[in-house]
Amino acid sequence: MDESKVKILMVKAGLEGHWAGLIVVSNALRNAGFEVIYGGNMTPVEVAATAAQEDVNVVGISSLTANYMLTVPAVIKGLKERGKGDVLLLLGGTIYEDDFDALKKMGVAGIFTPGTPMEEIINFVREKTSAKVK
Amino acid sequence: MQTEQHFSASGIPIKDIYTPEDTKDLDYDKDLGIAGEPPFTRGPYPTMYRGKVWTIRRLTGFNTPEDSNKLYREQYELGQTGFSVAPDITTAIGVDADDPMVEYEIGHSGLPLNTIEDVDVAFDGLPIDRVSTYLAERGPITAMYFAVAEKRGIDLKQLRGTTAGCMISWGVLNIPLQPPPRGYRRYGADFIEWCSEVAPMWNPICHDSYNVRDLGLNAYEELGMLFASAIDFVEEEKRRGRIPLDRFVRRFAFNTAAHNDFFEEIAKIRAARRIWYKIVTERYGIQDPNCAKFRVHVQSSGSTHTAQEPYNNLIRIAYQTLAAVLGGAQSIHANGYDEAVCLPTDQSMLLSIRTEQIAALETGVTNTIDPLGGSYYVESLTNELEERTWEYIKMIEDMGGMAQAMQDGWYHRLLREKPIERQQKVDSGEIPIVGVNTFRSEKEPYKVPIFKPDPAASREIQAEKLRKFREKRDKAKHAEAMKRLVEACNSDENVYPYVFEAVKVGATFGEVSKAQVDAYGVWPYPIGL
Repeated sequence: MDESKVKILMVKAGLEGHWAGLIVVSNALRNAGFEVIYGGNMTPVEVAATAAQEDVNVVGISSLTANYMLTVPAVIKGLKERGKGDVLLLLGGTIYEDDFDALKKMGVAGIFTPGTPMEEIINFVREKTSAKVK
Repeated sequence: MQTEQHFSASGIPIKDIYTPEDTKDLDYDKDLGIAGEPPFTRGPYPTMYRGKVWTIRRLTGFNTPEDSNKLYREQYELGQTGFSVAPDITTAIGVDADDPMVEYEIGHSGLPLNTIEDVDVAFDGLPIDRVSTYLAERGPITAMYFAVAEKRGIDLKQLRGTTAGCMISWGVLNIPLQPPPRGYRRYGADFIEWCSEVAPMWNPICHDSYNVRDLGLNAYEELGMLFASAIDFVEEEKRRGRIPLDRFVRRFAFNTAAHNDFFEEIAKIRAARRIWYKIVTERYGIQDPNCAKFRVHVQSSGSTHTAQEPYNNLIRIAYQTLAAVLGGAQSIHANGYDEAVCLPTDQSMLLSIRTEQIAALETGVTNTIDPLGGSYYVESLTNELEERTWEYIKMIEDMGGMAQAMQDGWYHRLLREKPIERQQKVDSGEIPIVGVNTFRSEKEPYKVPIFKPDPAASREIQAEKLRKFREKRDKAKHAEAMKRLVEACNSDENVYPYVFEAVKVGATFGEVSKAQVDAYGVWPYPIGL
């Protein structure tokens, strides 16, 4: 696997201001050798459009408020509409455990709550993308 | 006996033991004094907690003004002694709830406050004539609050409370549709001048380093940025010369974090009081010592709380609360232990209030003022933090002051690097976090109760209320007031008399914000990887 070929879009889907976690994880993924596009705050439509335009393999969404049950489905819908339904979708932040099942069913591949070691996220992306990226 | 070198959380070398040698240069009257006397190192008031314990003030809000009102009533009944309002992100940005831009954003990071009616509802049945309120916003919502108070027959000259309005805590949010720092500072100065006239007991600005500390600044960097920002506002008024500087700074309030290093945090608050005294009296030559009192709200540090083993946060919060108390804070917010997991549940809110009440009533720490004053260690740390803070202030002033340092990108570059640095120290174990990078449990994590707001419903409710509100208002009066506000924003005049007039005839927060931002243009916050 050539990690530099794995392209990751990192965003906050919405307007909330807690960006520190997103920066930290984005930086860790970049240092691990992935190509990271730091999108910052984007609407779900912008996330999907950017993911398609940049032809990314992974989209990472950070949420520290309770709006992810609205924004994540909107991102997934946008990705599918643009033929990017196969993107590896990650969600990080203060995510309620009782939403995990619903999120996974929607198509979220990995959920990472605060305090997750960076290695765990990096390894997850490596494993899941090694099969897809030649 | 020599042991391995230890450092405080901000990197100050700490000795094995402190002795009279470490405080021999301390001049009691000049450097400490008693509480209520310059330089206020030991406390801003002569009786401190013996006269009145700190205000228990939790920053909260969710869903809608109606739901938040229920929460505020409940907190008040549990013994909270000050109100504190956290508007949601849409309100922070300055757009109304029916704007398509904020489709997913209503009521989950605070409460939406779009109109004077929202403010009225949020405070329905609450004794705002007797209990002070903190509003985490920058001015227009306070104008609505004043209008509500007036309507209830309260004399604005007696009204007590605080408006956030601080540029360094705002800048952290990295949100769209904001004016550039000089525009932000201008409206801040307008607001301070206006308040000093219409509501002289109100704290028109709360210089606030909580957010920057939580992103990774250390104790003296936190104070340095806090005071550099306060100084920048005073310098702005000096240039404008509209009201005397003593009137301008008289009601300045402050807000800091209480982080993990217990004694350093205590020393930080003590040092801050001496520094602010020197800034006001020595730098600006203001004679009235009342203007030089550093009055501070302290909140336990959210960034220290973990999602792993959430009950551990209870203990962290209790220690941080105790540090704030021993430092002599005027108002405290003990966080919810579940902050890294969800918005606070009823139970965690109760626990926060109880944490403060137990410190106030059971531990005996309020029996005497500044109980750690005179400690060789604490006095030595206080001196060291003061010295390092002055250096940090100077560094920012050498860049042209705080607004300029923000404009030039220094501030956002710094804040981008700090969380990354902190994470690297957590990864390497240099910063130990029990239950996360040390003593991490292999067992299945235990569960805590959670609370979920309902952002989808909140948006519909708010949008419908807004539609009715706009329909109902006197369109001619509204248009006329908005026209005058826009003119004021584009002139050098103080905008707040016009904001006040506009919100009274039905201008929404979104409309007022737009008028303010349009005059300066939108400044894109420069956070990027």
